[in-house]
Amino acid sequence: MTDERFPCRSIQGVGVSGGRAAGILRFYNATPAEPLQTAETDQKKRLERALNGTLSALEALRLHAEAEISAETAEIFEIHAMILCDEEFTDALRERLEHGDTAEEAVHTVTESLAARFRAMSDPYLSARAADLLDLRGQLLEQLRGGARSSLPEEQGSFILVAKDLTPSQTVLLDRSRILGFVTFEGTANSHTAILARAMGIPALVSVGELPASFNGAYALLDATQGSLVVSPDAETARCFRKQSAAEAALSEKHEQYLRTIMNKPAVTRSGHRMLIYANVGDAKEAAAAYRNGADGIGLLRTELLYLSMQREPTEEELYKAYRSTIEAMEGKRIVIRTLDVGADKQIPYLDLPREENPALGLRAVRLCLAREALFKRQLRAILRASVHGTVSVMVPMVVSVEEVRDCRRLLSECMEELSRASIPFSPKPEFGIMVETPAAAVMSRELAREVDFFSVGTNDLLQYTLAADRQSPQLEELCRRNREPVLRLIRAAAEAIHQCGGWIGICGELAADLTLTQRFAEMQIDELSVSVPYLLGVRERVIDCK
Amino acid sequence: MKEFTCTVADPCGLHARPAGRLAALAKQFSSSITVRTGSKEADAKRLLSLMGLGASEGAELHFKAEGADEDAAIEALQAFFSSEQAETERHDG
Repeated sequence: MTDERFPCRSIQGVGVSGGRAAGILRFYNATPAEPLQTAETDQKKRLERALNGTLSALEALRLHAEAEISAETAEIFEIHAMILCDEEFTDALRERLEHGDTAEEAVHTVTESLAARFRAMSDPYLSARAADLLDLRGQLLEQLRGGARSSLPEEQGSFILVAKDLTPSQTVLLDRSRILGFVTFEGTANSHTAILARAMGIPALVSVGELPASFNGAYALLDATQGSLVVSPDAETARCFRKQSAAEAALSEKHEQYLRTIMNKPAVTRSGHRMLIYANVGDAKEAAAAYRNGADGIGLLRTELLYLSMQREPTEEELYKAYRSTIEAMEGKRIVIRTLDVGADKQIPYLDLPREENPALGLRAVRLCLAREALFKRQLRAILRASVHGTVSVMVPMVVSVEEVRDCRRLLSECMEELSRASIPFSPKPEFGIMVETPAAAVMSRELAREVDFFSVGTNDLLQYTLAADRQSPQLEELCRRNREPVLRLIRAAAEAIHQCGGWIGICGELAADLTLTQRFAEMQIDELSVSVPYLLGVRERVIDCK
Repeated sequence: MKEFTCTVADPCGLHARPAGRLAALAKQFSSSITVRTGSKEADAKRLLSLMGLGASEGAELHFKAEGADEDAAIEALQAFFSSEQAETERHDG
């Protein structure tokens, strides 16, 4: 293995996420994009737009992290957004502009001085927060440039990624399938990079000091548990390393293998009740992961990501392309598309949502869509057009009345007529259903069941509204945990109602993945459970084990 | 003017996440709410200000609320810290 180009070197660092990896080192290329030639000279306007753009990007990252990694890591982006909205931060920026700075200069100055303040703190956790401000700076500058950020090395294959430091937003978007591990020159065990690396299960070594660029392309052994990196090892060292890694991997592999054997088994309980195991996803990439993990379909496609990742409302064409790629990733298996579920609590500046005291109870989801018909119909048309590429169901969130359902149906029919007249193909009879996530919908389930093909229970919100308890509040965590019975009764009633009308019912909230409830859901004859990708196999296993 | 003192129980100190929750809580009240630890003072409604306190585990926080809803504000702060305490204990256990 020793290559003359790369002399053998052994380097120590801080292992911030356990595990081992052996592979080629590839250096991350931070090529700054060319500054965008813009006609806009008003620095105030440029800064406003950059702040708003960053807020939207942070919201998208938050949702992505929540769906793919964990709630804890998603909070990191929530914090970034809070810092961005903090008056001290924005006042300091505006003051710099008044001094005649450009937007970029202001961002540099203010973030640097704040970062210095944090770095100077004796508490290691707090001093590591300086990195947050630099990540925010990067995002703001990126928005001002209007350009795309640098990406992974172009070369094919997998590798160990090497960089000076990786910011939280960069690490969240890493494609795990190509990266065996990462090494950074800087960073601490308390940095967000470390937190994310652990959550993502990627072995990582930080604070190794500057590595020469000549290491790019060298084969290396990364042992994050030991905190070491051996560049260009001799054959014997490499062999030992691989042997030890293999032994460790074999233990977890056994369990993985067992789960894979059940991946394609239909989820049927011992008494013969079949339940479909679907996935909750946000985009095509997640859908592909769901497919690979044996998902029978997608029980919830969150359409918000596209809206959140853009600076203006997506066009029908952009929506259509996004839906199409997700539908195709499922290769014909059913995909339930939920229409826009946003309100004043989400940062979508171009929607111009008026501030609300209680955004959770405000003009959001279906209410917002019915109030903004043009916006809604653009989305419905995109869904209809995309429906020819697979098996698509449409689902509307936060419904409380039959009237809302009929209004949605009317708009859907109008869209179908418009598409017909323009000879644009669409699936003639897509399934139409609603989310049961308000007490009203649960109580009126008999009437609603007559109007729709299916129900999908959003247990997170249903729990919140039924217990009149904020599910984000730590003080109420125990209350929420101990009082699920009211929600379970509502689900049972809704299940009876929809089954009497010949429809089906699924559960797409967090309770779907709760293995202590699977037996009860089977007894209620729930037809489908939709969970995030990591839970697919576990839930399937549990169902098969049910009475 | 109402006061309240508590000790930071979290081994990580008053770091980003709880500071964020604390600032959000404080913002709900019209009263001015300040917090002092050692020789440093901060506006409890400002996240960066709170984080700047560098309050680590064991640090004493002295809150002062002044305004029409000062009683409600102090009560809310008390509730916030007693649940934070419970949260920390849960994690230790």
